[in-house]
Amino acid sequence: MLQCIFLLSDSGEVMLEKQLTGHRVDRSICDWFWDHVISQGDSLKSQPVIASPTHYLFQVVREGITFLACTQVEMPPLMGIEFLCRVSDVLSDYLGGLNEDVIKDNFVIVYELLDEMIDNGFPLTTEPNILREMIAPPNIVSKVLSVVTGNSSNVSDTLPGATGSCIPWRAADPKYANNEVYVDLVEEMDAVINRDGVLVKCEVYGEVRVNSHLSGLPDLTLSFANPSILDDVRFHPCVRFRPWESHQILSFVPPDGEFKLMSYRVKKLKSTPIYVKPQLSSDAGKCRVNVLVGIRNDHGKTIDSITLQFQLPPCILSADLTSNTGTVNILGNKTCSWSIGRIPKDKTPSLSGTLVLESELERLHVFPTFRVGFKIMGVALSGLQIDKLDLKTAPSRLYKGFRALTRAGEFEVRS
Amino acid sequence: MAPPAQSQRSQSPSQPSGKSEVSDLKHQLRQLAGSRAPGVDDSKRELFKKVISYMTIGIDVSSLFGEMVMCSATSDIVLKKMCYLYVGNYAKVNPDLALLTINFLQRDCHDEDPMIRGLALRSLCSLRVANLVEYLVGPLGSGLKDSNSYVRTVAVVGVLKLYHISASTCVDADFPSMLKHLMLNDSDTQIVANCLSALQEIWSAEASTSEEAAREREALISKPFIYYLLNRIKEFSEWAQCLVLELVTKYVPSDSSEIFDIMNLLEDRLQHANGAVVLATVKVFLQLTLSMTDVHQQVYERIKAPLLTLVSSGSPEQSYAVLSHLHLLVMRAPYVFSSDYKHFYCQYNEPSYVKRLKLEMLTAVANESNTYEIVTELCEYAANVDIPIARESIRAVGKIALQQYDVNAIVDRLLQFLEMEKDYVTAEALVLVKDLLRKYPQWSHDCIAVVGNISSKNVQEPKAKAALIWMLGEYSQDMQDAPYILESLVENWDEEHSAEVRLHLLTAVMKCFFKRPPETQSALGAALAAGIGDFHQDVHDRALFYYRILRYNVSVAERVVNPPKQAVSVFADTQSSEIKDRIFDEFNSLSVLYQKPSYMFTDKEHRGPLEFADELGNLSIGEAAHNVISSQRVEENDKDLLLTTAEKEETRGSSNNGSVYAVPYDSSTSVFASQTQIESAISNPTTAGHSQHASFGIDDLLGLGMPAVPDVASPPQLKLNTKAALDPNAFQQKWRQLPVALSQELSLSPQAVAALTVPQALLRHMQSHSIHCIASGGQSPNFKFFFFAQKYEEPSNYLVECIINTTSAKAQVKIKADNQSTSQAFSTLFELALSKFGTP
Repeated sequence: MLQCIFLLSDSGEVMLEKQLTGHRVDRSICDWFWDHVISQGDSLKSQPVIASPTHYLFQVVREGITFLACTQVEMPPLMGIEFLCRVSDVLSDYLGGLNEDVIKDNFVIVYELLDEMIDNGFPLTTEPNILREMIAPPNIVSKVLSVVTGNSSNVSDTLPGATGSCIPWRAADPKYANNEVYVDLVEEMDAVINRDGVLVKCEVYGEVRVNSHLSGLPDLTLSFANPSILDDVRFHPCVRFRPWESHQILSFVPPDGEFKLMSYRVKKLKSTPIYVKPQLSSDAGKCRVNVLVGIRNDHGKTIDSITLQFQLPPCILSADLTSNTGTVNILGNKTCSWSIGRIPKDKTPSLSGTLVLESELERLHVFPTFRVGFKIMGVALSGLQIDKLDLKTAPSRLYKGFRALTRAGEFEVRS
Repeated sequence: MAPPAQSQRSQSPSQPSGKSEVSDLKHQLRQLAGSRAPGVDDSKRELFKKVISYMTIGIDVSSLFGEMVMCSATSDIVLKKMCYLYVGNYAKVNPDLALLTINFLQRDCHDEDPMIRGLALRSLCSLRVANLVEYLVGPLGSGLKDSNSYVRTVAVVGVLKLYHISASTCVDADFPSMLKHLMLNDSDTQIVANCLSALQEIWSAEASTSEEAAREREALISKPFIYYLLNRIKEFSEWAQCLVLELVTKYVPSDSSEIFDIMNLLEDRLQHANGAVVLATVKVFLQLTLSMTDVHQQVYERIKAPLLTLVSSGSPEQSYAVLSHLHLLVMRAPYVFSSDYKHFYCQYNEPSYVKRLKLEMLTAVANESNTYEIVTELCEYAANVDIPIARESIRAVGKIALQQYDVNAIVDRLLQFLEMEKDYVTAEALVLVKDLLRKYPQWSHDCIAVVGNISSKNVQEPKAKAALIWMLGEYSQDMQDAPYILESLVENWDEEHSAEVRLHLLTAVMKCFFKRPPETQSALGAALAAGIGDFHQDVHDRALFYYRILRYNVSVAERVVNPPKQAVSVFADTQSSEIKDRIFDEFNSLSVLYQKPSYMFTDKEHRGPLEFADELGNLSIGEAAHNVISSQRVEENDKDLLLTTAEKEETRGSSNNGSVYAVPYDSSTSVFASQTQIESAISNPTTAGHSQHASFGIDDLLGLGMPAVPDVASPPQLKLNTKAALDPNAFQQKWRQLPVALSQELSLSPQAVAALTVPQALLRHMQSHSIHCIASGGQSPNFKFFFFAQKYEEPSNYLVECIINTTSAKAQVKIKADNQSTSQAFSTLFELALSKFGTP
């Protein structure tokens, strides 16, 4: 049971305070929390659940905004954390992004939302669709509408019909002239390549995102050509479990608009689309660096926005690094970033140069880890393929679209 | 970066200083209050917004209360909401003014728009002013019967709020039974869930005084009700599902087919997008199968994939929370996860608290088949930029070495660390090599060759230095220049700041002396002289002891210092298995994240309503004590270095005692709380006769045996089975299932208090009375025991929770029984047995 929620700006200022129970949480807890965060050096480094002298604090940081919840009772930790994540999702959805100004400008809406999302410390409705019906988002349309109609209230007169229905994620009967449904496979590849160049871990975390604008109560089925490769799946509450269990078919009545239908994991992949070969050799207080990047498996799709980032060890005095493709930047915090973009046809991108070590050091003992970024449009690297998408009682005009995209997730190469 | 203090903020020039702005607002509000001009709502909105924004940044705008209420007559819902927000914030400090708002809130409770009805009712209940409760009953009653589900949802939570303001009003208005009716009949699952959460809280609070409430609370975990909820689980919102699942963990199914039914029904919850639902389901599965070992293993296999997915898919915050739970499971059943070790590889970007958990898990899952890969991976972390993690990974390699039989490859790795010439790597590796040699003396030859090459000047950290010195002493016959290194260390005695290092130096010089006397003699003399002159008590004592024992008899001294040593096979575990089990019981709670059971950190009054058992009554550990314990633990870890297992136990015991004394005990629970009374009670027991228990106390003291009261009642004689057996899981399930049959406070005789220095003393005594202990814990003055007994030739169990505070000489006893009718008889037996404790 949460007792209080605070929203803090990136300078630790309390932007919003929502007391939830009869036990009033004093604001001074935020000062304690902020001192704690500063003592940790970086808000991302402090734990999501902290024990303060008086309360247990849950913190979630999004776009510089800290969502802080306090409790004094034992409770499932994920309930607190998940709830705060939902709050941040809903707010950024409502306000079109999160930052200090937008929250301060719309704090009334934030209060309204929190009021409906949680009562007496227990989460109620976090479904964006339902909230949207109770509290209209502060978009331009509703502003225009209020000018035209003269109705200054930003809330619809009717209560959401879905609160009582058994499909809580779907608003009652939307109507569209064009019935459209788009399915995106978005995958992230996590990989670790160790010092010997061995691929020690490679897996894909993927999401099936659906954007649906369908009239009435559409009943969809989505099937994959090769569902057996999936290691573990998680579903949006709208997915019916039985058809999946027996035939690996996703059968569901979608929420209106964009949502995450399913997430999955594919383990033990054997190869990565690109290779990165770092070589470091040190001698007499200097370290020679040479990094090669190239395409390993040709998927027939272009690999875009390739980047390479690494942290220079603290014992390095200066670095002189150049590349034959793309640009190299060394940032203030000794992070070196090399953005390559696309790999040219005629040459292999390489980064080379020397690092000057501190005076007492002969050799480099701490080796940097190279974090790799890339993006491939049009292919899901896990190999997952959508077979077909059907709509029961299809309307006369239905547009269906499929897309796939793979990004690098935590893709790291150690040297 | 630091946030300006609250007071500064309101005074800074850019912010409104308060006074003049507030009075300005007051004036404007007043003007608008009576106006009905078109567009007035918009200007009101702007003003209200300003008021709320002042309130949010911490300016006191409570003086506007009257004006705000006057302006609240509006049909604009946003205005209303802002007004409700304002009123809710200030009503508690202005109870008189709050009365003003009652009128318009009550009117809004009858509005046509269900949204306004609901909002008004919510605000009305959120005023939380005790003298206004009479105005709540009416609107709440009609709210519960409202045709709109939104209003009913709000009303249900409102009942709970009312209960917290005034429990008697809530109960007198018969709200709990109305909630019960709604819970069983309403078609909206959100209302059912809200009723459930409200009733759980109300009945748990009432259970101590009302038998009916206790019965109702038990009925919540009865079969029909649990099935009623389970069958509709998919209709509940995700948060309500968490609530229901939490309740299901407390349900004890009658047979295994029921367990399988429940698990089948809930299996798809493991695939839910909400991590909280997944974890709650995992908890249900684990709890249900506790007593079925085989199925329990299968459950681990089943829940593995969903948990690993949660770790890799969620935000960093979510994955940390899940990882902490996974950590707990990995520690309990490492073999289940041994093939998934790659999931615990550390990622460069992860915060160090996550890496630390992962390192521990990697250490735990290492077995013959994956050790090579894991150690290879860990060695890469040793070159990590994050130095604390680099250290931990080296330690992890060492731990794996200590738990494996095939250490060949690992030793090579460790020796490579020594050659890395990085001071912290060398330091950690030295400590590990030392531990390794204690377990595998056969490796001494290879290790010593490398260790001998390390210059003691390059080792600065006390732990590492102590380890190096220990090796110099222990293997001085194999290391050519050991005596000379030791000698040079002794020469720099005054520059050595760590007492630990000096202690080890003394011992090492002694050991070396017995192995290579001529070379060491002068160093020994110097060391003993320096040691005796040392200002540190332990160093001084040890030096003096060595000196005297050498004078007494050199061969005795050799036997003391250089006894034949056995390889250490098992190193003492840092966390007791009882604590681990307790944390496991609290799966899906904050305990898991802190790796401590909740009684060690949550405040007693804030514990969950349906808790397994009340914890050590007086041991309500505040944050201060909590810190004391953790800092001591750190110290202990530092001390661990070369102590034998037994020594370690000893230091832990004593330091924990210290911390317990530091905890202020809760005087409300002990009758003789004040220090003087305790003393008088102990020194002169007859004066302690102030309470109703005094007669028992005196009887006990005089050795009269059985107290008088039960004698009069002359209960049927009860015979207990001397060889009763009950496994801990069954005990736990029963404890959860059964109601408290008897609860009482007993006095202890001073002899008993004196005899109860460790829990074991009482265990043996009770065992002689056929009352067996299933779990015990605590240090003086607080002990806690769980006992059980079985009726002779009948499978009827008695379960007892007994909390003893030796300072107040009281025992709090709670008895639960399979057969309630005999619990009084058993209680008498228990009392008798307890009263004889300490008497010869």
